[in-house]
Amino acid sequence: MSSPAGNRELLSLAERLVRFGQTSGADEIEVGLGDGTEFGVDVRMGEVENLVEAGSRALGVRIIKDGKTAFASSSDLEPETLERLIRNAVRRAELANRDEFAGLPELSDRPVDSASLDLFDPAVPALEAKRMIALAHETERIALSDKRITNSHGASFSSHEGCSVLASSNGFLGEYRKTYCSLSVSLQAGDTDDLVEDFWYSSRIHFADLESPEVIARTAVARTVRQLHPRKIKTQRVPVVFEPLMTSGILGFLFSCISGTAVYQQASFLAGRLGERIGNDRVTVIDDGLLPRLLGTGPFDSEGLPSRRTVVVEKGVLLNYLCNTYAARKLGLRSTGNADGSGVGPNNFYLQPGTPSAEEIIGSCEKGLLLIRTLGHGLNPVSGDISRGAFGLWIENGEIAYPVSEITISGNLGELLKNIEMVGSDLEFRGSICAPTIKVAEMQISGL
Amino acid sequence: MSIVFEDHFHFGPDDLRRILDAALQTGGDFADLFLEYRVYNSIHMEEDLIKETSESISLGLGIRVWSGEKTGYGFTNDLAFDKILRAARSAAAIASSEGTTAAAAGLIRATSPLSVYPLREAPHRGDLTGKIGLVKDAYAACQSHHPAVKKVKAGLQDQIQYVTIVNSEGLLVSDARPLVKLTCVAIAEKGAVREYGYSGGGGRVGLEYFAENLSPAVIGREAAREAVQLLDARDAPAGEMPVVLSPGHAGVFIHEAVGHLLEADFNRKKTSVFWNKMGRRVGTSLVSIYDDPTIPGFRGSYAVDDEGTVPSKTQLIEKGVVVGLLQDRLSARLMGKTPTGHGRRQDYTDYPIPRMANTFIAAGEDDPAEIIKSVRKGFYADQFSGGQVEDSGKFTFSVTSGFLIEEGRLTAPVKQATLIGSNVEILKRVEMVGSDLTFGLQTGSCGKEGQDVPVTDGCPTIKISRMTVGGRE
Repeated sequence: MSSPAGNRELLSLAERLVRFGQTSGADEIEVGLGDGTEFGVDVRMGEVENLVEAGSRALGVRIIKDGKTAFASSSDLEPETLERLIRNAVRRAELANRDEFAGLPELSDRPVDSASLDLFDPAVPALEAKRMIALAHETERIALSDKRITNSHGASFSSHEGCSVLASSNGFLGEYRKTYCSLSVSLQAGDTDDLVEDFWYSSRIHFADLESPEVIARTAVARTVRQLHPRKIKTQRVPVVFEPLMTSGILGFLFSCISGTAVYQQASFLAGRLGERIGNDRVTVIDDGLLPRLLGTGPFDSEGLPSRRTVVVEKGVLLNYLCNTYAARKLGLRSTGNADGSGVGPNNFYLQPGTPSAEEIIGSCEKGLLLIRTLGHGLNPVSGDISRGAFGLWIENGEIAYPVSEITISGNLGELLKNIEMVGSDLEFRGSICAPTIKVAEMQISGL
Repeated sequence: MSIVFEDHFHFGPDDLRRILDAALQTGGDFADLFLEYRVYNSIHMEEDLIKETSESISLGLGIRVWSGEKTGYGFTNDLAFDKILRAARSAAAIASSEGTTAAAAGLIRATSPLSVYPLREAPHRGDLTGKIGLVKDAYAACQSHHPAVKKVKAGLQDQIQYVTIVNSEGLLVSDARPLVKLTCVAIAEKGAVREYGYSGGGGRVGLEYFAENLSPAVIGREAAREAVQLLDARDAPAGEMPVVLSPGHAGVFIHEAVGHLLEADFNRKKTSVFWNKMGRRVGTSLVSIYDDPTIPGFRGSYAVDDEGTVPSKTQLIEKGVVVGLLQDRLSARLMGKTPTGHGRRQDYTDYPIPRMANTFIAAGEDDPAEIIKSVRKGFYADQFSGGQVEDSGKFTFSVTSGFLIEEGRLTAPVKQATLIGSNVEILKRVEMVGSDLTFGLQTGSCGKEGQDVPVTDGCPTIKISRMTVGGRE
């Protein structure tokens, strides 16, 4: 585990490399360093299958010289290697073109206190291998005790603890530690020629927040067996209810369309739409990097700007794009603290929940599809078009009737945001992009 | 000309032996070491500017230990010897026998008989100005192809990966793998309609490839052509209909529908729909499928796999019958088979698993024009953006552009649609296979269990009698 002494070592290395960059000719330089330890175990059919334990360190550098940018990274932290990489980067920068928008941000005078974010759980690095292996065993054992489960892809426990350090020539120096642990199981039911499969997981910063083996196993079993003996259905247009993981997928797609990088590149159908209505008034979307104990939280972004809460869409109106410094300058905006490497990334990006329960939403459909899984990558940010393989449960008279598979669902994100009829109350922060159950008025289903 | 191997570890045989001994100190059956040094360079151009370049170094060592069916794995990028021995002990934790296992007495350096990297100017050695020139050429050709093209992005990525594999059976083998790709993205606009086009090329080849085989200008124009064509495209049809797959890019169909589910691990664990179908018919007699990691210059090729096995062309399906699996060492050992050289890993932080390399469906005898002519009303899938499969055999692939087929002719261009089917049903609906085997773009990667590796796939024109097309009309 990275001790405070280890942090000091990384901090002083980062500061030294910033000075080295400056004396090597860089006008501006930013150095990020990470040091982490990970443990992972996969258990399958009652036996340990894989056990991984490792430590690794990494460096990322950005250099600007005469308005020209070069990046470098390395997993080799030998001083000679790092100095060579920085000198190469300064030389390479000269061959790029001058870009008036390039450069490090101005330092913020309101840093976030990382202790208030509660991102380091000492219980995670203290977990013994035996305990983690036992948790994976227990999860799979409970799942396999259900006779309807015919095979297992296994249960896994993983844990990670790491330290991130950032130093820049603009005077920024920051560090924070973060832990992470996850428990999951993936199952099959049915005969070889009529297989269905699904999984469930929990991943959290704090070990105490993790769902129990019992909950994860029971949820995975229920999610798997509900798909047994699916029917094929006709091609038609019907209301579609998205389960939370499915709405999260749509929200991930929305993120790629409101990312400042995609917007200034005109690679999003939402470019040039700031201040416009892009959805109905049920749609409020927020990015919040300050929520304690959550996976998408951190005190500062990869450029050292403090995390913040940004309302992206308020009651259907597009208020903000999420930007790093470069995208913000291109768009005449301010960074929202979403720099992630050389691009833009979400913090905790979520759809504001409504009041109805998932049962009430399903109950409101005379006929419709409850979307439970998708397959494939048919999302196009340039047009907003959606077309994906889908698995679901058919809804009739407000109740689940039977599973359906081998269908596709298609539509357009712009239309979908205007056609959301209900937003559920069941928001859970399972990852950095999260959303509750929603009901969309009508979408195209392709089947027979 | 081949690339001279560079050793960045400077371990002698005694050092390697000490690491193997540490890995086997708890009685593991087998141990191997994967020593990797990789340099990755990239250039990115947009808005008429070379915006950034980057250089990345990846250096590290992975240590694997087997105990029965169990795998222990440790890795480190700190090459201090005590850190390496600690990683070896982490991997050794998988085994718990009383006695220790002795590694083989002597390491024997092996060399692969394969010559799969045809090149004169190794990409990682190429000077940056010349590489920037290639990017600018693709960019300019794309931008000037049509006035509707409003945004262009072009980039070049190259890498050199030096790997050394050492194992407790005495194997010591190295490989120096070059890789390059030049890619271009176009965004075209007409009124409120905005569309995207993509093209690219490369492989395990030298920079001369872009002068002699595939010019940057062709890559740029092809990206522009696709984006512009989509401006007038209508929504794809919805429902079940005859589907014709274009030659080349549609190899993703075989990759998803067949390749993944014949990776040995899924069959050993009986999670693949194919596990009980060895020797059985799963498709029409027109379907013969291979994976060949030995095709010179291809993205998916290598002289040895990431376990040191010399790969061989492997037949998976022969005239509709399952005849082979893609084997790594672990599955081969547990199944009593021979490794086929398909044990691959993304990098030193991952243990190897069975993977595809260059997967293709063999050419048939049908005239491609006759295949299209045979369809009265259907869908022609032209350009693809990837796919996904699950172990049950349900698979999808995404079409970025296509055409309607009406009365045996390609008519209106159509845009994005996902196609879905169940492999055991779709393979039985392959009605015609063209004589025009073509490989797709040399720019693709495949993801499995969080590990990305470069692959290619290929196929001739293929007709599937019925498949669900997920359009909007």
